[in-house]
Amino acid sequence: MASSMARSFLQVAATEEVASPLRVVQIEGLVILKIIKHCKEFSPALVTGQLLGLDVGSVLEVTNCFPFPIREEDEEIEADGANYQLEMMRCLREVNVDNNTVGWYQSTILGSYQTVELIETFMNYQENIRRCVCIIYDPSRSNQGVLALKALKLSDSFMELYRANNFTGEKLREKNLSWVDIFEEIPIQVSNSALISAFMTELESDTPVKQCDYDRLQLSTKPYMERNVEFLIECMDDLSMEQQKFQFYYRSLSRQQAQQQAWLQKRRTENMARKAAGEEPLPEEDPSNPIFKPIPEPSRLESFLVTNQIANYCNQINGVAGQNFNRLYLMKSLHDN
Amino acid sequence: MASKFWTQGGSDTEEEETDIEDEIENGGAGETTAAAAGSRYLQTNASDSDDSDGQKRVVRSAKDKRFEEMASTVDQMKNAMKINDWVSLQESFDKINKQLEKVMRVTESDRVPNLYIKCLVMLEDFLAEALANKEAKKKMSSSNHKALNAMKQKLKKNNKQYEELINKYRENPESEEEKFEDEDEDEDEDESGSELEDPSQIAAESSDEDDEGEDVDDDDADGAWEKKLSKKEKLMDREFKKDPSEITWDTVNKKFKEVVAARGRKGTGKFEQVEQLTFLTKVAKTPAQKLEILFSVISAQFDVNPGLSGHMPINVWKKCVQNMLVILDILVQYPNIVVDDMVEPDENETQKGADYDGTIRVWGNLVAFLERIDNEFFKSLQCIDPHTREYVERLRDEPLFLVLAQNVQEYLERIGDLKSAAKVALRRVELVYYKPQEVYDAMRQLAVLSEDGEKDGDETKVEETRGTSAFVVTPELVSRKLTFPENSRALMDILVTLIYKSGDERTKARAMLCDIYHHALFDEFSIARDLLLMSHLQDTIQHMDVSTQILFNRAMAQVGLCAFRVGLIAEGHGCLSELYSGGRVKELLAQGVSQSRYHEKTPEQERLERRRQMPYHMHINLELLEAVHLICAMLLEVPNMAANSLDAKRKVISKTFRRLLEVSERQPFTGPPENVRDHVMAATRALCKGDFQKAFDVINSLDVWKLLRNRESVLEMLKAKIKEEALRTYLFTYCFSYDTLGLDQLTKMFDLSDAQIHSIVSKMLVNEELHASWDQPTRCIIFHDVEYSRLQALAFQLTEKLSILAESNERAVEARFGGGGLDLPLRRRDNQEYAAGTAGGGGGRWPDLSYNQGRQGSSGRAAYTGGGRPLALGQASRDRSSQSRGTGGYSGRAGSGMRGYQMDASARMVSLSRGVRG
Repeated sequence: MASSMARSFLQVAATEEVASPLRVVQIEGLVILKIIKHCKEFSPALVTGQLLGLDVGSVLEVTNCFPFPIREEDEEIEADGANYQLEMMRCLREVNVDNNTVGWYQSTILGSYQTVELIETFMNYQENIRRCVCIIYDPSRSNQGVLALKALKLSDSFMELYRANNFTGEKLREKNLSWVDIFEEIPIQVSNSALISAFMTELESDTPVKQCDYDRLQLSTKPYMERNVEFLIECMDDLSMEQQKFQFYYRSLSRQQAQQQAWLQKRRTENMARKAAGEEPLPEEDPSNPIFKPIPEPSRLESFLVTNQIANYCNQINGVAGQNFNRLYLMKSLHDN
Repeated sequence: MASKFWTQGGSDTEEEETDIEDEIENGGAGETTAAAAGSRYLQTNASDSDDSDGQKRVVRSAKDKRFEEMASTVDQMKNAMKINDWVSLQESFDKINKQLEKVMRVTESDRVPNLYIKCLVMLEDFLAEALANKEAKKKMSSSNHKALNAMKQKLKKNNKQYEELINKYRENPESEEEKFEDEDEDEDEDESGSELEDPSQIAAESSDEDDEGEDVDDDDADGAWEKKLSKKEKLMDREFKKDPSEITWDTVNKKFKEVVAARGRKGTGKFEQVEQLTFLTKVAKTPAQKLEILFSVISAQFDVNPGLSGHMPINVWKKCVQNMLVILDILVQYPNIVVDDMVEPDENETQKGADYDGTIRVWGNLVAFLERIDNEFFKSLQCIDPHTREYVERLRDEPLFLVLAQNVQEYLERIGDLKSAAKVALRRVELVYYKPQEVYDAMRQLAVLSEDGEKDGDETKVEETRGTSAFVVTPELVSRKLTFPENSRALMDILVTLIYKSGDERTKARAMLCDIYHHALFDEFSIARDLLLMSHLQDTIQHMDVSTQILFNRAMAQVGLCAFRVGLIAEGHGCLSELYSGGRVKELLAQGVSQSRYHEKTPEQERLERRRQMPYHMHINLELLEAVHLICAMLLEVPNMAANSLDAKRKVISKTFRRLLEVSERQPFTGPPENVRDHVMAATRALCKGDFQKAFDVINSLDVWKLLRNRESVLEMLKAKIKEEALRTYLFTYCFSYDTLGLDQLTKMFDLSDAQIHSIVSKMLVNEELHASWDQPTRCIIFHDVEYSRLQALAFQLTEKLSILAESNERAVEARFGGGGLDLPLRRRDNQEYAAGTAGGGGGRWPDLSYNQGRQGSSGRAAYTGGGRPLALGQASRDRSSQSRGTGGYSGRAGSGMRGYQMDASARMVSLSRGVRG
């Protein structure tokens, strides 16, 4: 009996594992406010914090969070950071708050978050908790009157590849993975308790235009655009560098192939001669020969990330420029009136 | 190539010969002088008769053979002694004892040969010496030491038998040998004496050397056979001399063959052979024979050259030239004699006398000889220290060679061998092309003077030779005088035209480069440039040999200097910038070896490089070159920097200059300028502020200007340029600070006339470098504030980056699918590497680049500064795409992408506004 019980538990666990991919991230309003507060206070420095919550089916509920202290580049302090995290969790547990880690949040500048570090952190989290999410908040973008909040996770196929640490062109083709498929954005749902909603409704004034809407009409988007273009230029440089790496690789590869061909040709003629002389032919493979040592193919991860970033900047520019046009037309018509 | 053949031959024989010389010298020193001389005598004897084996049989007595063997063993022993090798000494000793038995048996006498006794004495002395030297004994290897001890025992035992003889020898070493050795000794002296000797003596000597082989067998007296022989030789020789009628073609030919066969063998002295052959020329019976022998004389003279890197002794060189002239005399006198190196002529071809009607073929290659002579001249100039009198003296021999070359060329033209004539003409061109008119005139005068001076000397010499040789008289038909045109340009034109008509590719290319150099030297920039561009040399120069590449670099440097002199700054910079880009100017111009920190050169490379060096008098002054290059760079770069002050990295005209400027700016304290660089940097600092006077003063204080012929006019030009650039720099730098700027103010500031300023400013306006307009009534420039915004600037930058990326993408795709695409850059790269490796590099495409650069720069600038206009972006990309190959598709794409984006944006706007409305 007990054994069948255990088996059924296992079965249950197994079925749960395959079922329900993450569909929605549900965040408490309080958590968002905490994140915004933390990130805005420290902007332009980048900060991170822990997300706590529950994993319920295809919904990941984020019910609480706490900020990490700003890390300094020192191992001792880093250890302190880990200690802080554990201590914090313990304390939260004691006051009976959700203390189940579901991911982390971090601030970013102009959406330049696609880095190897983020992927590494994500992989770290992923090892410990099955469902994990990274929430990214961009304070500079929020200045424009948008809530720049994003929930991200790495795609499964990418994680698989990353674990194998194999980003050659062949593998990527096999997996049919392109740069778009690295990150998956998960829709965010903000949920508040009924009490809070009621309270908010109570507070809400009658005028439709609220304070934050003035932000939306701000006309000076130039610095923002400039920064974006600057970053874009940097990305271009990075991309060119990656491309150069590849060019170099292909060049050395073709050279090596030519060498191999020449060697093989020589070996064949030699074998012909040996055959004619009635001797054993020499093997056509010579692993000890340095020209047969495969040249490592440069990883494509970096260029994928750069491409992602570029796409991000482009989107931002697109969006901002589009909005700007609207405002300008609005202003123009206002003037005309 | 024939010349290659010569050099190889030279190196082969040379090594062996030096060996022998050493041997002789060492043997001759010390107590064994006599012995050495004796053995050497025997040795030459031996080799002589060996040589003649191939040609005719010499019956030698068994006795002689034994003696020779013994002599050679003695020689081996001597060698062993020299290196203190007791093992082989022991072996030789055993051998000589065995040989002694044989000798005794053959001579059927109980008298031990002197040679043997001498050898014993020598051994004894050496042994004593070795034993006395305890130090050395300790150092010996064990086998050597053992051999030494064994030798000691053996010698002791052996010497007992000959004690008496040895003692006798020791008491009076000379008495035994004097009689026959004195001959050899004086022969020795003769040899070590100089080659400038009375011909009769040379004759005596040479013939007694030659005849030994044949004459030896006539003797059969036991002890004093050698003595008899030498006497007889002398007699023979005298007969030879006194009875010219008895000398037949056959005898001369025989001897000639013998001497030639001895060439390169051990024991044949190089000078000796020359002398022997020279003597033979005097007794030659027919002109053809004389010619043949003369050719051999010249080859033998080339052999005298001590090594590949060393040069031929100068007096030998001069004689060589004289011999060539004599050859030409003969060829002119007997036009039926044909010189050819393709067919092996008949053995007895030269027998045909002067009255023979048909063509006589003689083996030889005039051009190869001439080229070799030229090379030797070049080498000697490389080797001699240019700051000595010797160098100047050597330079004076140049007309001598020019005379010869001229005559050879005339002869070749006459017989219709234009290809060879072109080669000779090239040699002449290469001696003339680098000479400015003054130097050329000086050389002409020198030639005339030296001709007058030498006339008498020549005649007496001719008299002398006539005294001894009366067989074939060769009157001096070929003129010994230079006939130069007044103007070096005229000479160049004649020669170069000939070469263009009938030279091969390399000859033509070299001649073209020399021509370009010469034009540039004479300030004819446009002609030089046209020649350079028409010939497409810059495309093919990488595939040429190193010395041609060096010539190309030299020509480019000279064209650059020329462009500067005539005031074409951009062109001058274009020509020179690449030379200076690698920091290896010295190497590229072959005017010295530059040390590279990063890779060591192998000794082999170093030697090669040293052999390529230009002689000092052909150098292009490096300081002047550097000054010109930097000033050109300054004049272009300073206004450029001022114009693009926003992002300095964007448009760099001269990287070298920028780097230097950075270095000088980093210095905490700038002292007064010392070298050329400091001067230009100081001038640059002044120019940046628009202070033209100071800039000019600094530049003017350089002392390289005294190297310019038309110094005044060049400096005048320079001053005007500096003023102009100062004005431009000022306008670029301070246009933001002005609303209007008065013309009068500018004329006062820059000391320029109204018209000049008007034209400069107008040009800037037209080029859209300056956003302003003229206000004629008030004589003012009104500046417009059309500075493009930062965002626009960034957008430009981005498009540039994108186009680079797109281009490299395209190339990658080509490489993947096109196949040929990857090869192209690869090959280019390899070529560059090769060029760098061979030090001739640098060259290649750079003049091409330079001429483009101006255009490219200006168009780029126009597009860049035209940012105020809405079209500019598309324009810029179109410009670039038309320059870069095959990116037409890209620009189209970019355009459509942009359009698409705009449409998208507007569409969204519409929808949004609809949403608002809704």
